[in-house]
Amino acid sequence: MSKIDEQEYRKRLEQISDLFSRMIQRADELAAERCPYKNRLDQCTAKFGCRNQGKLPTKGGLLMCNGDDKLEYRSAWESA
Amino acid sequence: MATISDISNEFVRNEIEEYIEQPDERGQLITTFAKVRPEMQEIAAALIDGAHHTVDELTQKVLEAGAEALEVMDDGLIAAMRIVGIKFRENFIYVPEVLGCARAMKAGMKHIQPILSASGIKPIAKVVMGTVKGDLHDIGKNLCIMMLHGAGFEVIDLGVDTKPDEFLAAVEENEAPLMGMSALLTTTMPNMAVTIETFIDEDLRDDVRIMVGGAPVTQEFADEMGADGYGKDAMECVALAKRLIAEGVEASG
Repeated sequence: MSKIDEQEYRKRLEQISDLFSRMIQRADELAAERCPYKNRLDQCTAKFGCRNQGKLPTKGGLLMCNGDDKLEYRSAWESA
Repeated sequence: MATISDISNEFVRNEIEEYIEQPDERGQLITTFAKVRPEMQEIAAALIDGAHHTVDELTQKVLEAGAEALEVMDDGLIAAMRIVGIKFRENFIYVPEVLGCARAMKAGMKHIQPILSASGIKPIAKVVMGTVKGDLHDIGKNLCIMMLHGAGFEVIDLGVDTKPDEFLAAVEENEAPLMGMSALLTTTMPNMAVTIETFIDEDLRDDVRIMVGGAPVTQEFADEMGADGYGKDAMECVALAKRLIAEGVEASG
């Protein structure tokens, strides 16, 4: 097993942190207009109930999100 | 000059063709991936697809075959994450997919960890993270964990609905100097204070720095309950974690 140079490793961590920071900023912006639990197929990935969830599971087992994102979506989340 | 056909992996090729629209970014990625070995391209493809089991297996395989850890990081994991970042920025994927890719990256990094240890490189610190009892909202916590991993922390993720005793046991078992609690509901937010009280009751409060966060949490509330710090988002969480660890080192030194 060859060893890793610490300086080189830290450089990679900086690159990863930089990539992730931009993603976090984008996630913050996006949260104003789209529920963060809604995936690219408009399915709900939340582990809790939400009034925007459809009734029947989709092929992958997730419920569809019926929210239109025009309303404040957090109000539809149900407490655990 | 490299062209898209110089990339051997069909999935990676298709991802660049389909989703990378800006010419400069497309050019950079083609140049990068054209030089990348097919085995690393396979890892990259699996990461972009969020297939964490595949990233896990492939990373283990290439490292056992003698690949350098930095090559895996550069050509497999980080190069793939660049594509993920662009897809997210351009609304081709959303937060759940990004977290899936981050999970796949973690699966790959798991195999690099022993090499880091053997090289004398330690994580910044261990951090126990969880959403408090009664709360099932985990996106904020998961984004914090993604950032903490990226910054070089070792994270013990307790998931959602974490009882005070579970936080306590995890901190003790892992000898973690840092802990983070998240709550999204005003109804569950008081469980942060209950958890802190549990640490006080067990005489363990001085052993761990506690940070809190979540939409309804404020600096004032954090101060009232006796937390060591409050972060309003994942970026602040990492900065706070680094500060608390540095303060701890100074205090003990």
